[in-house]
Amino acid sequence: MREEIRRIQQQMEAGHYITDRGIATAVYLAVTLRRPLLVEGHPGVGKTEIAKVLAQVSNADLIRLQCYEGLDATTALYEWNYPRQLLHIRLDEGSARSMEEREAAIFSEPFLLKRPLLQAITHEGNAPVLLIDEVDRSDEEFEAFLLEVLSDFQVTIPEIGTVRATQTPAVVLTSNRSRELSEALRRRCLYLWIDYPSFDKELRIIHAKLPGINERLAAEVATFMQSLRRMTLAKTPGIAETLDWAAALVVLHASALDATLVQETLGCFLKEEGDLRTIGAALDAGQLSVMLSSVA
Amino acid sequence: MSTSTDTTLVATVVRFCRALREHGVLVTPAETIAATRALLEIDLGDREDVYLALRSVIATRPEDFAIFDALFARFWAVPSVRDARGPHPRVLPEPAVPPPARAGAPMLERWVDPDDTARDDSREGLRRPSDHDMLGTRDFRTFNESELRELTRVARRLARRLRMRPSRRWTAAARGPRVHLRRTLRGALGTGGVPIQLVYRARKPRRTRLVLLCDVSGSMDLYSRFLLQFLYALQHSFARVETFVFATRLSRITEPLGAPGYRSALERIARAVRDWSGGTRIGACLEAFERDWSRLVDRRTIVVILSDGWDTGRPEQLGEALRRLHRRAGRVIWLNPLLGSPGYQPLTQGMQAALPHVDVFHAAHNLASLEALVRHLSL
Repeated sequence: MREEIRRIQQQMEAGHYITDRGIATAVYLAVTLRRPLLVEGHPGVGKTEIAKVLAQVSNADLIRLQCYEGLDATTALYEWNYPRQLLHIRLDEGSARSMEEREAAIFSEPFLLKRPLLQAITHEGNAPVLLIDEVDRSDEEFEAFLLEVLSDFQVTIPEIGTVRATQTPAVVLTSNRSRELSEALRRRCLYLWIDYPSFDKELRIIHAKLPGINERLAAEVATFMQSLRRMTLAKTPGIAETLDWAAALVVLHASALDATLVQETLGCFLKEEGDLRTIGAALDAGQLSVMLSSVA
Repeated sequence: MSTSTDTTLVATVVRFCRALREHGVLVTPAETIAATRALLEIDLGDREDVYLALRSVIATRPEDFAIFDALFARFWAVPSVRDARGPHPRVLPEPAVPPPARAGAPMLERWVDPDDTARDDSREGLRRPSDHDMLGTRDFRTFNESELRELTRVARRLARRLRMRPSRRWTAAARGPRVHLRRTLRGALGTGGVPIQLVYRARKPRRTRLVLLCDVSGSMDLYSRFLLQFLYALQHSFARVETFVFATRLSRITEPLGAPGYRSALERIARAVRDWSGGTRIGACLEAFERDWSRLVDRRTIVVILSDGWDTGRPEQLGEALRRLHRRAGRVIWLNPLLGSPGYQPLTQGMQAALPHVDVFHAAHNLASLEALVRHLSL
């Protein structure tokens, strides 16, 4: 393994993000090749976390753009600070300046409200990390616009001119695959698929995030989650749910799992009524020991 | 890149990419270049590094991983392939290992095998090359695997239609393309006629949701294979789709169907659905839907039922369940594959009870009929 990749892995683990070689290699290549990294995977496996840890280890600022349906270019790029322009006009009313001068004044940079994409482009100092979260939630038009920005990192503002990025930001895009992203966007990115963690990885994550946790409890939680993911559920819990649950158990001073305890804390990791009923019934039938013994 | 090693490397990458292309993975020249650049950044002596680097550049969806792995093993062969891979969790199961047979869904198990269509090739001799028009009007019963791609395209078009159409109405919004003059001026009254706070207006978003209920009972066997592919494509191209299948009982398959890759989706569905190709109790299943999932249905929901209407339950039960569903939903569409057969009349008792509570009664036996669905999909 290349030394740099190992170092990235170590740095990420020092930032409490447990990685494997696949993740470390993809992150390393994204940074060195200056290509956006597209991260896909089930909800709650730590996709967003990658960008945060990347910013932390490379000592860069994190700029986040949360996508949603109906997100448009203005919201992502820039807007004019209208109230401030208005105030400026009022204050300037008595002055002898010409119309053109006034106009140039109110359409200049101090009156520009920078939204995440423009922030990332005009960022001073260290190249920032730009996180474009849940890009599958945005519309196709926005995806096309994003493609344009990500390919040349420059933006044209009619009143000011073209703004070019001084250094290319490291870009991380995440998607839950609620819809297929366009082929063009996929081509432009490095691709990383994060699956549910193995037992060992999950155990290490629990220990990294909850340092004080009881050894036995952590192992039991990880085993339980592993067998839970093999069942057919409406919403399969991710690592985020595992950690929520483990944290709750720590607060309850539990040292091992028992059926009552699991019943009482089901809501920490099951978010669908049907799932609650299925697992609740399984626990009533004394299935806990089966779920705890079936470690792969 | 002048030394001979580099030239060999480039040649190998180019050949590797070409092989992937031949296996249906879309690899552009730009990616071949990116792959070569990626290889220069890593330790070429380490097979795992090469594997991970190439995969992150070239395989841009989990569905491609299986092909990628197979070809990688061929191109970068070393004695101990397994050891070099290490304990990497594979997203896709090794194609060599057939999934264990499970009771309840024998149809599904067979569909997992893509070569399976060769099975009923008594019609093969009659089949003409799949020119478009032929395809459009051909009955699904005679479809083969390659034509399923067309089905996916139709599903994408439908999803696009659902997504792309904002309502024609304007509404006040915090941000939008135009200024909401009336609101802004009224707000300005309080500040001496100066519009300090701009109110915008935007097109009202039309959040149409799709609920699909597909009959997978024995009588639908000939069609459900293709309809399921259609459901899969819809699930993957539109975010607000909920999918259910039913025969004697209702099963929600939104999650398993959303799995990456048709193959793994089928495997998951096989695990989740127990009564595949069973009898039909449409009324009871719709009742179960009303009871457990009614929160999914509101005025902006289009409910699509795909069924031939052969029901073994009481017709009144079906009529009543559908009446209640119809009252809540924006539109109820019943797609009946039999409607494409000449001379078919919806005379079954179930169908008779259902028809008064259905907005659109439509055929679903070929691509053209599914494409014609587009005009019913705007609320």
